[in-house]
Formats: sequence, C-alpha cells, structure tokens
Amino acid sequence: MGAPRSRSPRLEVPSYMQCSTRRMGIMTDVHRRFLQLLMTHGVLEEQAVKRLQKHCYKVHDRNAAVEKLEDFINNINSVLESLYIEVKKGVTEDDGRPVYALVNLATTSISKMASDFAENELDLFRKALELIIDSESGFASSTNILNLVDQLKGKKMRKKEAEQVLQKFVQNKWLIEKEGEFTLHSRAILEMEQYIRETYPDSVKMCNICHSLLIQGQSCETCGIRMHLPCVAKYFQSNSEPRCPHCNDYWPHEIPEIFNPEKEREAGISTSNKKSLRSRQH
Amino acid sequence: MPRGQKSKLRARAKRRQARSETKGLGGAQATAAEEENSPSSASPLLGDRSQNLPTAGTRSTPKSPQRAAGVSCADSNEGANSQNEESSDESYCEDPLNEKVVLLVEFLLRKYQAKEPITKADMLKSVIKNKKYQFPEILKRASEHMELAFGIDLKEVDPIRHCYTFVNKLDLTADDMVIDEENTPKTGLLMIVLAVIFKKGNCATEEEVWKVLNLMGVYAGKKHSIYGEPKKVLTQELVQMKYLEYRQVPNSDPPRYEFLWGPRARVETSKMKVLEFLAKVHDTTPSAFPSCYEEAMKDEEERARARIEARAHSSAMASARAKAKPSSSSCPK
Repeated sequence: MGAPRSRSPRLEVPSYMQCSTRRMGIMTDVHRRFLQLLMTHGVLEEQAVKRLQKHCYKVHDRNAAVEKLEDFINNINSVLESLYIEVKKGVTEDDGRPVYALVNLATTSISKMASDFAENELDLFRKALELIIDSESGFASSTNILNLVDQLKGKKMRKKEAEQVLQKFVQNKWLIEKEGEFTLHSRAILEMEQYIRETYPDSVKMCNICHSLLIQGQSCETCGIRMHLPCVAKYFQSNSEPRCPHCNDYWPHEIPEIFNPEKEREAGISTSNKKSLRSRQH
Repeated sequence: MPRGQKSKLRARAKRRQARSETKGLGGAQATAAEEENSPSSASPLLGDRSQNLPTAGTRSTPKSPQRAAGVSCADSNEGANSQNEESSDESYCEDPLNEKVVLLVEFLLRKYQAKEPITKADMLKSVIKNKKYQFPEILKRASEHMELAFGIDLKEVDPIRHCYTFVNKLDLTADDMVIDEENTPKTGLLMIVLAVIFKKGNCATEEEVWKVLNLMGVYAGKKHSIYGEPKKVLTQELVQMKYLEYRQVPNSDPPRYEFLWGPRARVETSKMKVLEFLAKVHDTTPSAFPSCYEEAMKDEEERARARIEARAHSSAMASARAKAKPSSSSCPK
C-alpha cells in the first residue's frame, strides 16, 4: 500500500504535517473529489464506489490507470490518519453487500448527526438506538420507540412528530424500516460502532466470527453465541451439516445466501428498470 | 465483516506501532500518554476517548494498543513534554494543539456539509475553548488539512465580524452526482415537483404539490404504473437521493409538511432549466412567468460568478504555492 505515482499536480505538504515516523500517501484531486462525493452520499455500496473512483479518474487524470480500490482507499486513509478520519468498509447485515463510508474516529459520533437534527430529535435517536441494542432481533418496534417520547430532552415532541422524525432518520440513512420496526442502517453501524461499544458495553452484541458489532444476526440456541448473516453464509458455505463453532450443536437456522456481485450484475442487465423502482434500503 | 479486511488493518496498525515504538516518539501513542499525564489539558470531548486515538485505522478492541503505548512511552514522556515548549516543527504528533486541529477539522467538515456559514465565535465556543490565543495557528493548520485532503478552502468573507465561508476548489457538476443510480423514470415527476416548488417561491406545501399532481392523475397512496407509489417516491426516495427536502412546516399543529429543492437538484439542474421545462409544458416561453424568469436570470448570474471566483481563487492559491516552493520540503514517499 502507499503512494501511487500519479501524474496530477500534488500539493506540497507543510513541514509540520510531516511526521518522520509515518509514511504518508499522496493526495491528488482524484482522491479529493472522491472524498467530497463519498462524504455527500454518506454511505455507498461497493459497485457505486468503484464507479465513483472511475469517474474521479476520468475528470482529473484520464490517462492514468485506475488503481485497485483497496490500494486507492489505503492511500487516502494514510493521509487522513492524522485527522482521525477514515474511509471505512463494512458489510450490510441483512444481505452482505460491501459498503463504504467516511468515518470520524476521534469524537462521540452522534455528533455527525448533530448538524441535521435538533436536541430532542437526537435524543429520540438515542432512545431508539438503546431499544435496538437491547432487543433480541436487532429491531425496535415503532410503538415502543414512540412510547418514549415523553422522556426526551429538549422541546416537547408529540408522537405524530416523532413518527416523521423516524422517517427522517430513514431518509438520512441512519435507520432502516421493515414492517413497522426499525434497525440500524449500515451507515450508523460504520460511524457509531465505537460509540456504541463504549456507551453500551454490557448490552452490546458481538459476532463470534468477525468480532465486530452485531445488531441483526443468528444465534445458537444452546450456547447463545451470535453471528452476522453474511458471516453465517460464509462460515457454513457448502457445509451440509452446519454446527455451532462454539458448542458444536446443530445450527438450527436456515443458512442465508452470500451476496454475489456477479449474479447481481447478470440480474441487473435483464431487469434494469425494475431495479430503480425496487425499494432499496441501502 | 469479512476477516481479511480487519486483519489487514490490525497488521497495519501493528506495523505502525512497531515503527513508532523503535523511534521512541510514536505519534498517536505519545499524544494519548500525554493526555493521561496532564489531566488539565484533556478535552471534555476527547477526555475519556483518549484511549481510542491510537487505534485510528483499526476496528478491533482499543485496549491492547493502548496498553502497549502506555508501556513504551513511559520513558519518552519527559522528552515529549519538554518538546512542547519548543515550536512544533517536526513533532506535531505530540503537540497538544493537534487535538484542537483535529476537532476543528471535524467541525468544519460538518458545517461544510450542512452548508452553514461559520464564525470565529462559533469556532471558539464549540472547539477552541481554552486555547483562545492559539486560534490563528489552529485555524491555519485546520484549513491546510481541509485543502490538502478535501480540496476545500476556508475563506474569511467578513474580517470585522470574522465570518468565513467555504470555497470548493473542485468544480462539482451534474456529472459528479449521478453515481449511485442508473437512469430512473422518476425524472419527469421530479421536474414537475421542482417546478411547483420554484413557482411557489422556493417552498411549497405538501397540499400545493398534491394539487398539481392530482391534476395529472397522480395520487398519494395510489400506485402509478411508471412512478410506483408517488408519496413514497416524493417523501422517501427522492429525499434520500437528495433531490428534494421534505420538512415539517415550523410550528404547525397538527403537523403539516413542505417541500424544498434538495442539494442535488441545485447542482444537477437550475431554476432556468426548470422554468424552461415548465414553459414547455404550458406551451409557452420562460418570459411568460416574469417574476420566476427574473429570479432564474439572477440565479444564472450568481452561478457564473461563483464559477469564476472559484477558478480565480484556485489559480491564486496555485501561484502563491509556486512562489513559496523553495522553502518547503517534499513529502517522504
């Protein structure tokens, strides 16, 4: 990983920014445009990120070879490291799609939402977050969230308003709604994992396979360990007799299908119109 | 999350740590060690999060790198503390100002995304706090980070009231925004709604929008053969795609809602283009709507001016940099 030989002009790095103990990558306008646009979208699926990368090359450096995405991002991250900002890769919990977001690592990450929401709205989010984390399924019902409306800090909020605020969270990709229940969007998980693990250390659930935060997943009925759906799919891939990795009991749940970018593309060609009308959560 | 990515991150963090530990003055670790040893300088925001600073770039539990950092920096602490008295030329890593710079960058990015203006007072209150006298230095460094990493310039527009604004050095156009969707058939519906909003003075109530759509046979709750369920399209999908803003009318009881243009609409189209669309629909010309036409013309002028300013600013910056070149050293590869 590290600095690609880019042909576009680069900004000279002031001496105080250089740290002899650290290797810094080189930022060009290709990377800057990429960052600006990623920031605007909040979170993007991998295919969109690749298109974004190609687009940025096209605008600034037509003749350069498009760097492998992983190296491209590692290069950016080495420059952003000193700012405690990172382009972070995650995986959607329900269908295993890779997603990317620009994440701030230094401060309480509810602050990312602070510019878009009022005090009572942020508190509603915190309440919903707590219910989601405490729940068994990773979902909190609309009713249960709305019942907490009286406990909110700041200006008094009515249930009708709270319903709209919840929709605002969905629109801004902080929550996902499914049949009247809410869970965290992959964006929230990427941006707030640290905050969640620190704030709810006792109730937070972790995946036995990848050891990161778990909101939705499957659990072993015998020993209680949990796994993300994509982690289950990968772990039990082509295993006809899936067993719990911890207690070896039969795994009682249906093994989900892994997200396959090739299959998606083939399906996309034949049903390209249907795609835009389908309700896409991510 | 797939293991591969995380192991790589952890390995990278370990490599970084090993490098800094051998030099004795590791970047993030020393900062964290300092935070522990000088509680008075711990920021309320970062205070109890200081142990997370060394783990930038990793998603594993923060505990182990912190412990290692505490051990390795125990001896180098005195060296780090004494260096703070000198100017922070090479060792910004342990400089206590660095924390404020990082927080200010985060603050500025949020303001940039929210398209809010910034004042010095705002920055002092939210970020700088007790380091008021170092504000110019902190601001200078934060601005340079913004420019280097994001291509966003911070410009002082009012030197008396100390108001600042952002100038994007990159010229973002319509092409930039069309990344995550292929062509959607909802453009026609969107153009109509944008036109209604514009005609109603850049903000239209939900009732006003539905009144127009109903005339076209588009009804809330009734699935349309092309658009799908229109209310969902307008209040969720187009909002998520940032073409529209949907918000509650302030102080409305029972709550009523209104639509405005979203940031993406402002980039991808213009008042003039929407007016031309509206004129076509009514089989007339834009000048048939005199007040809208005037507003659209002003908007075109402002856009042209902003483009010229941005270009002038970036070429001025480029020539200033070219002049300053001999004194700065190049970035290590």
